[in-house]
Amino acid sequence: MTNFNWLVDGSIVGFYLLLTMAAGLYVRKYVGKVEHFLVAGREMNVYLGIASLAATEFGIVTCMYTAQNGYKYGFAGATPGILMALAMLIIGRTGFVIKPLRDSGVITIPELIAKRFGPRIRWAAGVVIVLGGLLNMGVFLRVGGEFLVLVAGIDPQYLEIMMTVLLIGVAVYTILGGMLSVLVTDFLQFVVMSAGLIAVTVLILMNVGWERLVNTVETTHGAGGFNPFVNAEMGLPFIVFNALLNFAVVLTWQTTIARVLAAKDSQTGQKIYTRTSFFFVCRFLIPGIWGIAALAILGNVDNSLEAMPRMLVTLVPVGLMGILLAAMLAADMSTDSSYMLTWSSVIYNDILAPFRRGRNWSERTGLFVNRSLVAMIGIFLLFYGLWYPLKGDLWTYLGVTGTIYLASISVILIACCYWKRANSWGAAASIVVSAAIPVTYLVMEQLDGTKDLAKAVGPYYSGIATYLLSAGAMVAGSLAKPKSIDQEA
Amino acid sequence: MAKTFWLILTVAAIVWYSIVTVYVAIKGAGDIREMLASLSENSNGNDEE
Repeated sequence: MTNFNWLVDGSIVGFYLLLTMAAGLYVRKYVGKVEHFLVAGREMNVYLGIASLAATEFGIVTCMYTAQNGYKYGFAGATPGILMALAMLIIGRTGFVIKPLRDSGVITIPELIAKRFGPRIRWAAGVVIVLGGLLNMGVFLRVGGEFLVLVAGIDPQYLEIMMTVLLIGVAVYTILGGMLSVLVTDFLQFVVMSAGLIAVTVLILMNVGWERLVNTVETTHGAGGFNPFVNAEMGLPFIVFNALLNFAVVLTWQTTIARVLAAKDSQTGQKIYTRTSFFFVCRFLIPGIWGIAALAILGNVDNSLEAMPRMLVTLVPVGLMGILLAAMLAADMSTDSSYMLTWSSVIYNDILAPFRRGRNWSERTGLFVNRSLVAMIGIFLLFYGLWYPLKGDLWTYLGVTGTIYLASISVILIACCYWKRANSWGAAASIVVSAAIPVTYLVMEQLDGTKDLAKAVGPYYSGIATYLLSAGAMVAGSLAKPKSIDQEA
Repeated sequence: MAKTFWLILTVAAIVWYSIVTVYVAIKGAGDIREMLASLSENSNGNDEE
């Protein structure tokens, strides 16, 4: 039973959706070139960049699994957020990789990779990035829809229709306005999303109380609920794996780095990173508290991923429920629009690069192709995410699909910027190793003959091995290439 | 000590996020105006050429 009231809360949600669509469509008249469509003409300044980055990187899926972390691990579940904040702060302050990346003037990471390693590696990198990105994104719609259905008390048979209508709305302004629409709507979504998150968190702290949250964690998880190093399911391997993962995400996750590439200059890009970094603590800790509250109120549940939405249904009153739903819709729409645009930009800029060479496409043709790509990605999301139900553990799925891309591209990007001896052999070896290990691990988990071994190794050691061996492959491959061949290239 | 750490971090997160939301909302609106004005100017400049 939910407190969602169609008149009061439905009106709040409806008003918010109309406002977003209007804003997204209004700016389409400023889109005259591909550069406007993909990187907003590189006119984005610091505060808009902060709002856009925060809104993009917080969707319903994020809220669900970070809350699940709070439910399963207590406060220690927020550790990945702290690690990501530290990574972003350090990289923002030092300009490590992001400064040369932005200064190069490229639109996507593979474009920079091409300058060092050639068009084939660029193409391979583009394919790996898009595959990992689209597979990763494929679950967003369904998970987001399930949250909304639970919280709003909607009949589950309407889930697919509801999410289809929402996706079409997002796709329309993304197709027409590109990055300009994404930035403006991200800004609105940031404000609404933040207001909802803060309001609900204050409500939880007032109703449940800090002491009860702490006692619940202590009773359920012991010291491990406060200290990840002593948590039986976490420990040092978890910390190291998440440190590597989040470092790689900050450097190479295309939706994150797109804010640097759309910034006026590298200095602005660095400021966006530095000033947004603490947001990633909030990103894990705030929903994490919601998850702990779910544990305190509901106790043990069958599906820990559903604990937080089930808790919200009992706690959030009419009026605030509308703001919460608008906030979550805001979070989801900003993520969907940014992600659709990001992967389409890599397809256009890198995978289609060989087909564009020598053809000299006009701006009009370029815009048409980009818009078509966004539409096709939207269709893929609908069928993959909604109409074809996924099976398996969500976080493992996200981790594997992410690491296939993150391990190799981060290694290649660092080598590209800072190691003169790096070459195409090393880059190719890194891509192969980075894809092979996580996929092998995932397959081993499923097969009867190898699943015990996979369990013994665990996802964290497998992940750490991926990053280390990917770096090793870059070094070994680069050194193996005779200098004479390298110089000819 | 761990409990104190999480209490401080939680308070910091809520306070920081609240302040930043208001600050970014005001400044971000200005950024949008400037961005659209700049794009308009560049577009008019290209038309004249």
